[in-house]
Amino acid sequence: MGDTPGSSMHGVTGREPVLSFAVASPMVPTDTTAKFDLPVDSEHKAKVFKLFSFANPHMRTFHLSWISFFTCFVSTFAAAPLVPIIRDNLNLTKGDVGNAGVASVSGSIFSRLVMGAVCDLLGPRYGCAFVIMLTAPTVFCMSFVADASGYIAVRFMIGFSLATFVTCQYWMSTMFNGKIIGTVNGTAAGWGNMGGGATQLIMPLLYDVIQRVGATPFTAWRIAFFIPGWLHVIMGILVLTLGQDLPDGNLGALQKKGDVSKDKFSKVFWYAITNYRTWIFVLLYGYSMGVELSTDNVIAEYFFDRFDLKLQTAGIIAATFGMANLLARPFGGYASDVAARRFGMRGRLWTLWILQTLGGVFCILLGRANSLPIAVTMMIIFSVGAQAACGATFGIIPFISRRSLGIISGMTGAGGNFGSGLTQLLFFTSSQISTAMGLTYMGIMIVACTMPVTLVHFPQWGSMFLPPSRDIVKGSEEHYYVSEWTEDEKQKGMHQGSVKFAENSRSERGRRVASAPTPPNGTPNHV
Amino acid sequence: MASSRILFVVSILLCSFAMHSCYASELFSNLKKSILVTSSAKHGQVLKSGEANITVTWSFNKTFPAGADSTYKTVKVKLCYAPISQKDRGWRKTKDELKKDRTCQHKIVKRKYEASKNSVTWTIERDIPKATYFVRVYVFNAEDKEVAYGQTTNTAKKTNLFEVEAITGRHASLDIASVCFSVFSIVSLAGFFYLEKRKGSSQQK
Repeated sequence: MGDTPGSSMHGVTGREPVLSFAVASPMVPTDTTAKFDLPVDSEHKAKVFKLFSFANPHMRTFHLSWISFFTCFVSTFAAAPLVPIIRDNLNLTKGDVGNAGVASVSGSIFSRLVMGAVCDLLGPRYGCAFVIMLTAPTVFCMSFVADASGYIAVRFMIGFSLATFVTCQYWMSTMFNGKIIGTVNGTAAGWGNMGGGATQLIMPLLYDVIQRVGATPFTAWRIAFFIPGWLHVIMGILVLTLGQDLPDGNLGALQKKGDVSKDKFSKVFWYAITNYRTWIFVLLYGYSMGVELSTDNVIAEYFFDRFDLKLQTAGIIAATFGMANLLARPFGGYASDVAARRFGMRGRLWTLWILQTLGGVFCILLGRANSLPIAVTMMIIFSVGAQAACGATFGIIPFISRRSLGIISGMTGAGGNFGSGLTQLLFFTSSQISTAMGLTYMGIMIVACTMPVTLVHFPQWGSMFLPPSRDIVKGSEEHYYVSEWTEDEKQKGMHQGSVKFAENSRSERGRRVASAPTPPNGTPNHV
Repeated sequence: MASSRILFVVSILLCSFAMHSCYASELFSNLKKSILVTSSAKHGQVLKSGEANITVTWSFNKTFPAGADSTYKTVKVKLCYAPISQKDRGWRKTKDELKKDRTCQHKIVKRKYEASKNSVTWTIERDIPKATYFVRVYVFNAEDKEVAYGQTTNTAKKTNLFEVEAITGRHASLDIASVCFSVFSIVSLAGFFYLEKRKGSSQQK
């Protein structure tokens, strides 16, 4: 666990096919002396992903982890379906509603970046528990809010809880072998994101029940917020009592086994920011994940206002948008893998471009739809496109850099939130632009900001329009990954991991590779 | 062949249905302003929701020809937003097409139409938001379509506007519960952390 701060988001892939729930024994030897419910490798990380088991520690960790992340999504977007009531209670203008939406996704840009270091220092269990239990008071604070500035401030603070994304992915990589970590992390992230959909269903329902029991509307919505608050506290306690940092126990109680050479943060950071592909993906994720978050914030109110629906009906429709994550995100990763088997990295890039552009086109059509059935259909296709694009994005990220995977993953994640904040600021805050036009403009921006993926070129694999380099040296995977190390570092043998990774990544050549390749090990360092 | 013909006929019927309902939407500018409406609220007065009440009086404007109100059947008295409360709030926008108009969102009372003086005294309900309002009376015919109206303010909606002071929705009990749960959350986290650190260091000894 000797990773430097910020580089702790390893194994964030999602590129492994959804169906690869297990690692075949010969590829990774099973440790037969260990007494766990699941077969484990030499580090006691599980080799099998058994979805419906709660066995300690591996699968129990999976469920604790994704449910915590889900809970934070529920509370971050809990206000969205209740905005028609809240805006009357607090006398909000459209600008206030929009600014609150921006605030709700901005806080986590910073909290996610900090959480990497926290996981390194305190372990993912405490990282998760700290975030979820310290943001519980911010959720309860909704009962105090009396005006626009209070509302915006509280939504900003609740948004910090989305740092549980980092603890979720980090914790998974301590518990699951690198060859299945992609599927595990993709599933955990997708199911966590579903919280943004579930909340659109839960909150109006709670509001309705509380109203029937006798509360006035302006009090009922405040009481409804207690439920996400209690969920925070309950999950925090469950994580602390039932969870453990590592397969063998907790961080504080175990000796740190470190024969991993510590990499310098400044170097890792440098190689991340000087790789142009990093920035293209920061932008791209802002228009797949980012628009998903923006839509979570505006879609219930949009259906309520435009089509005159009841609060609950608008909530149900809005929920289907976020709940599509159950399958759409893993599907994106799967599609990326299938394309890579035949066309290699070029296939992955095309898959991403097609999915994300499709999402953009249907977002435009959603804004233009004048009838309810058409709008709902366009919304569903838009959701599948955007969420599958998220999955496909993390099918490519592990290949951008081997040395700086953690930071690049973190920056990409932050880019998602930044894109969301920017989009909400541009299109959903001004009263000059109706929400319908805002959706249309957002769709146009998605299509435009997905174009840069055509510029992503790997010398060893090519890009969307260009073939790989024919140069024997420059066109090799080794050259690309080893170039991240200086001669001095190579002397010390620090680059060996990259060499191994380069060998394993030859599968990204597609069918040009003669032998059936073993999937590359996405985890740069053992935890 | 027969099935495709049936489909064709059904789709024509559906289309005509849709068009019929489209064309049938009333426009506000077509309504006759034949009702005189006054309210007890003075211009600039602030009324507290849940406590204050307002008396609205309406009658048929006798300057209109005698038989004009023959189609009037029911009357709805509504609380409507003044322009200042519609600013930057698209969900309260005034539109000429009555089905899409969002100016008057709060119903005060629904009555049968009577040409002579009607009045109602209404306590401002607790779900009325803080805003500036006027009162409008819509008259409906037997098909439940708007045919006439009257309002307490002028055409520019500048006179006779009153404000409502809404409830906050906050309660002391909620505030206290909120603080209790927050404290519980922080204390249990700190407690766990401290206990585990102590267990860890005592194990090492």
